Amino acid sequence: MECNEVMHALILFIDNEIEDAIQVQTFQSHFEECPQCLTEMEHERQVLTRMKSLLSDACCEEAPEDLQNRIAQQTALLASQMFSPTQVITEYRRTETTINGETHIEIETTHEIRRDFPLS
Amino acid sequence: MNSEIEIRTPAQLLATESVLERTSRFERDAMQYTNQLYAAAMRYTKDPHDAQDLVQDTYAKAFTAFHQFEPGTNLKAWLYRILTTTFINTYRKDQRRPLISDGEVEDWQLAASASHTSDQGKSAEDEVLENLPDGDVKRALHEIPEEFRLAVFYADVEGYSYKEIADILGIPAGTVMSRLHRGRKLLRILLLDYAKDRGFGGSDGM
Repeated sequence: MECNEVMHALILFIDNEIEDAIQVQTFQSHFEECPQCLTEMEHERQVLTRMKSLLSDACCEEAPEDLQNRIAQQTALLASQMFSPTQVITEYRRTETTINGETHIEIETTHEIRRDFPLS
Repeated sequence: MNSEIEIRTPAQLLATESVLERTSRFERDAMQYTNQLYAAAMRYTKDPHDAQDLVQDTYAKAFTAFHQFEPGTNLKAWLYRILTTTFINTYRKDQRRPLISDGEVEDWQLAASASHTSDQGKSAEDEVLENLPDGDVKRALHEIPEEFRLAVFYADVEGYSYKEIADILGIPAGTVMSRLHRGRKLLRILLLDYAKDRGFGGSDGM
């Protein structure tokens, strides 16, 4: 593997997005032989780890309590709208067959649920 | 005489689930993600008020479609996917801003990153970034194009794979890679600039 190929796909390697184990091994062998690429890879990985930690610290807003309440109320309202138009139609079918004195009874049950969903 | 055996698949069970059962399942499973969804919504809208509305709309759609969610799969990613479509359909509809395609970030912006990887700067870069306040990081995130920002958020804050991000954003995995790569580069340039403005850089010429 050439240095420029390694550099080109470096981000895939750092992100663990290379699925082929043999290809991962090819990268690792290259890093063992090439200190420049190894340094570059370790630097990129270190900076990325730092960026991830900065981003995670910055992007952790908590949902306001008011929003939680609004969602809870909304869910209750939507659920109550779902109750009314629900129809369950149950059908039973009973088939009795007697052949030579032997009776066979078959009962078939079907449930049909009809429900209008509010909201688009 | 005859025994009754009833076998129901999970899909059938869901189809006959009562509204009450579904509501409590939703409250138990989906409501735990409000904070994460709100943090994500802030990356989409950049505004606390809009972010709250977006999250509320997302939960309305999610509840209405909850019977379609396949139990055992990733619920949070499913919610993020609804968040994305809700944002696109509702909040971006009227903003006729041109979308930046993936090839259009100005070359000088990316070229500038080359100067940060000189051997001298290398050891210092991590230390320089270390003490940046959260406000600077948020500001930098909000300055980069939306497409890049979302890819970076899902990869580097939420830790999703390219494939998972592709599902959430409804774009090919190759596009995720390119947006993520460019987004990170831009972000890094901005953060190093802010650090320089704050005098963190020191004398190594960064």
